[in-house]
Amino acid sequence: MEWEADDGRTVAVVVGLIEKATNSTKPDLDPRILKSIKSVVRYSDSELRLAVENLMSLMKRDHSQVRYLTLTIIHELFMRSKLFRTLIVENLDQLLTLSVGFRRNQPLPAPPAIASKLRSKAIEFLEKWNTSFGIHYRQLRLGYDYLKNTLRYQFPNLQANAARIQQERRERELRTKEILLKKYDLLKSNISSIKDEVNSIVDEVSECLDILISSKEENVPLDPIDEEDFEDFRNIELRTIRENSLKEADKVQENSENKVVFDALRELYKLLVTKHLVAVQESISVLIRVELSDNRLRDSMLKEFIDIRNHLKLIKKKCEEVGCVLSIPENDEEEDIWEEGTSEPSNISKPVTPNKQNDSPSCSNSKETIANLKVNPNLDPLKSKLLVEAPVMKWGSFLDNWGSNRDHMAHQRGLEVEGHWGRVDYDAVIPANKIAELNVQATVYEEEHKEIPQCRAPLKKGGMCERRDLKVCPFHGPIVARDDDGTPIAQETDVKNLSREELLEQAVKNVRERDKDVIKKREHDKKELKRAKLAKIRGHNDAVLRDAAMASTSVSSAIGELDLGREKDSLAKMLKKKATAKDRLATRLLSRKAIARQVKFGDDDSKYREAFPNQW
Amino acid sequence: MWKEIGDRESGKLRPNSFISRVRSNRASSLQLSNHKEIVSSHRGSINSLQVDLTEGRYLLSGASDASLAIYDIQRATDYEAGGLIAKHKPILIDKQHQNAHKYAISTAIWYPIDTGLFVTGSYDHHIKVWDTNTTQVVMDFKMPGKVYRTAMSSLATSHMLIAAATEDVQVRLCDMASGAFAHTLSGHRDGVMAVEWSNSSEWILMTGGCDGAIRFWDIRRAGCFMVLDQSQSQLGRRPPLLDQSTTKVDFSINTFSARAPQRKVGSGSSSKHSGNNKILKHAKGSAKQRLHPGLLTSQDRATAHYGAVLGLKATEDGMYLLSAGSDSRLRLWDIQSGCNTLVHYEVVRLLSSKAIQLAVTQDSGIVFLPCMTSVKAFDVWSGKSRMTLQGHYENISCCYSNHDQELYTGGNDRQILIWSPPKLMPDDVDELDGRTGQPPAADEDNWSD
Repeated sequence: MEWEADDGRTVAVVVGLIEKATNSTKPDLDPRILKSIKSVVRYSDSELRLAVENLMSLMKRDHSQVRYLTLTIIHELFMRSKLFRTLIVENLDQLLTLSVGFRRNQPLPAPPAIASKLRSKAIEFLEKWNTSFGIHYRQLRLGYDYLKNTLRYQFPNLQANAARIQQERRERELRTKEILLKKYDLLKSNISSIKDEVNSIVDEVSECLDILISSKEENVPLDPIDEEDFEDFRNIELRTIRENSLKEADKVQENSENKVVFDALRELYKLLVTKHLVAVQESISVLIRVELSDNRLRDSMLKEFIDIRNHLKLIKKKCEEVGCVLSIPENDEEEDIWEEGTSEPSNISKPVTPNKQNDSPSCSNSKETIANLKVNPNLDPLKSKLLVEAPVMKWGSFLDNWGSNRDHMAHQRGLEVEGHWGRVDYDAVIPANKIAELNVQATVYEEEHKEIPQCRAPLKKGGMCERRDLKVCPFHGPIVARDDDGTPIAQETDVKNLSREELLEQAVKNVRERDKDVIKKREHDKKELKRAKLAKIRGHNDAVLRDAAMASTSVSSAIGELDLGREKDSLAKMLKKKATAKDRLATRLLSRKAIARQVKFGDDDSKYREAFPNQW
Repeated sequence: MWKEIGDRESGKLRPNSFISRVRSNRASSLQLSNHKEIVSSHRGSINSLQVDLTEGRYLLSGASDASLAIYDIQRATDYEAGGLIAKHKPILIDKQHQNAHKYAISTAIWYPIDTGLFVTGSYDHHIKVWDTNTTQVVMDFKMPGKVYRTAMSSLATSHMLIAAATEDVQVRLCDMASGAFAHTLSGHRDGVMAVEWSNSSEWILMTGGCDGAIRFWDIRRAGCFMVLDQSQSQLGRRPPLLDQSTTKVDFSINTFSARAPQRKVGSGSSSKHSGNNKILKHAKGSAKQRLHPGLLTSQDRATAHYGAVLGLKATEDGMYLLSAGSDSRLRLWDIQSGCNTLVHYEVVRLLSSKAIQLAVTQDSGIVFLPCMTSVKAFDVWSGKSRMTLQGHYENISCCYSNHDQELYTGGNDRQILIWSPPKLMPDDVDELDGRTGQPPAADEDNWSD
């Protein structure tokens, strides 16, 4: 008896675990449950048998998600237990029917996305099983053969693919090796010429440098020893600045005399950097990578090349010291453009700044523009302060006589006096205040650009609603402040802050509303009653159905009160087809009315055509 | 097993009895063989399978793509996985052969005397006799319709007739000696699906037609002498003749008395039948049986099945006939009395579109019946389902039980599967491994955590 009781308990364990693992809407199994299933099944054959039975019955469920999860459990156990394999293999054709769905009268069940996933997974698993255990189980070989050769299913062909990739890689390596060898041979034959070339260019460069240095020595530099003596008491920054300037002075300056030399040097430098250094670098890498039976020659060549490279680098450095910079023309242009851009605003800001005292041409939107102004930190504090406060004006002709308090001459053509060669009437003067009036800046009101907040209600598919509505989102109701998860932050209306009168008012209002509600309630009471009755009946029906469902599966009764309810709902929900916008449109368009209307149109058209056959 | 060997050693068990016990044990423990594999090169469903009767070595198969194949089932052509899997490759005759059939081959049988000849029948209305060694057609019979099934008597010493069941209502007997039709047996009202020679007499032929009738013919006389009637039944088995040769009968009596209490008793009216060896037969049936049935129209219209008779198989001892019909019934008939024995077989559903090939073990203990995608093994006497052999992925149309208790099945999925009793000596495999020197990966538990 005790044995039996023990058996019964364990039954509940493994079956319950499997049920729990498969009763989920997630795409993967819970690894913890899977692990516990494995550990339970590992130590007891009877439970393994039960597991097989239960898994096969789960495979028959009319839900692809359940089947998918079950199949993954089966795969996990199949790869591990021999007994499990022998038991599963006996019913392999059924398992394949349920997972691959190759029989036309037994297609895979509802959520089609998961069904296709299930099929591909099943095929993949079958292939894995076949490669690892095929020789021990004829059924596996048969199933694989049938799906592959008779039904022509596409297997992922993992093993063959891996082999092919390996092969390809090997071939590629071989090819690169060959290329390297070829390059090496070429290098071997060319090494002397390369050396010659490099040597010649090095010689030229050094000659140029010599010329420059010799010319430099003419102007005598400052005495370095002297400096050190009196620099001791100066701070380091100043010293570095001084040193820099000294070095700058040290440099050979380009002038009309040595321009030719500089040009030649630059040419040579360019050649050196772009051609020879690169070539030498490349040949070094070739030498490093090439694989030879005899390494001595290669090593000596490598040494030579490294020496050459170092030499070249040294020379390059020298050139740079002299002042050769390898510049690519496009870069130069870009820099120019950029520089122009930066220089302009500083120029403009200058005339604006001193005009603070004249505030007559007022500017409406001065505040926001001030912040944008870049304040140069080098200016004195008063100026910078003024700059911060100053309005930014649009450019106009009025800026010419900004802040001038004088009267303006006027004539028949306007206010311009310069460039006017005709008679000038010195009495025709417009007073300054008039001018100021005229110069009042009218600006168009620009709406303050405000970011409309997103709705941020959590969506089912994850993420937040990104609609931007002012007050109410058509899908998620009024827009309220929400935290990062999308749950609304409750905003308590602070009652304390309300004044007494307001409170009174509110109270009166509430009372009135309540009265209205009561009246309404009475009206609705009858309807409510009826509805309640119906709901009760429906609830009862549901309960009966649920009981029936629970009773029909022995498993569920064994588990007892698992939190089936919600999960079941979600599993069932997966089966329901979501009404997409397309569906809704289709219902509208393909409804009988619409079709009838269409037909009618067609009729009209045909009638018209019959009546006027010569008109198209 | 070991006990029986011990008994045999001490002389408690007679040799024949020992043999039959071993055979029945083996036959009842069939499973899909992992070590023996037939590489089928057919490209259509396999319609007919037969192992030759003389050596028990060559398997002849005919398929829907008009191809024929002969497999050596005792010597493998090559091994796989370190000698674990023996592969049997065929000598194939397909459509490219100059004498090949045009359409599906529905039947392929060996010449019962030796393996030098075999006979094929096809939907292209021809029956061809082939010389095995030259793979040439030596004789060609043009039939009036599609050939469904052919049969040759394994007992025959005085004739060499191929009985042909065709679309035509008449059953023709083709004489291989003369190359002409020797007989034309008319009586069926529709095409004939199944034909079988008696195992007890070389002149008795049994045919089953699409009209649901099973007719017995004595080829020495005109017309059929018996039409089996499903309503004419007897309960239980006929008692074996007492003066029949010793051991086998002993055994069958033993087994019978052992099984008798479990047997299902069919009709309610005569449900209480006591006495194991008592015949319960309707008096009327026995009276009519003596008359020539061709004259009695009432009996002539009797049917053995509702629907077509799809397959016939006589037991090895020649006393019983098993018939499968498109009404999804398997019936066991007593050949002598022509009565339905009312054994209820738990058949689920039969393939009803084409003829099927049944198989019975040598001691007529188990009948193998192709039921859609599985082969069901029934106890012949009680009708209980013994095994369900599941391995094919499409409908199975034929099975053949060899004398060394191997079962061959062929189906629409182009595979020929071998079902064999489990190997008693796994050492064999080790030996093979040693020879090939390449041990296959072991099939063991592989728990990672």
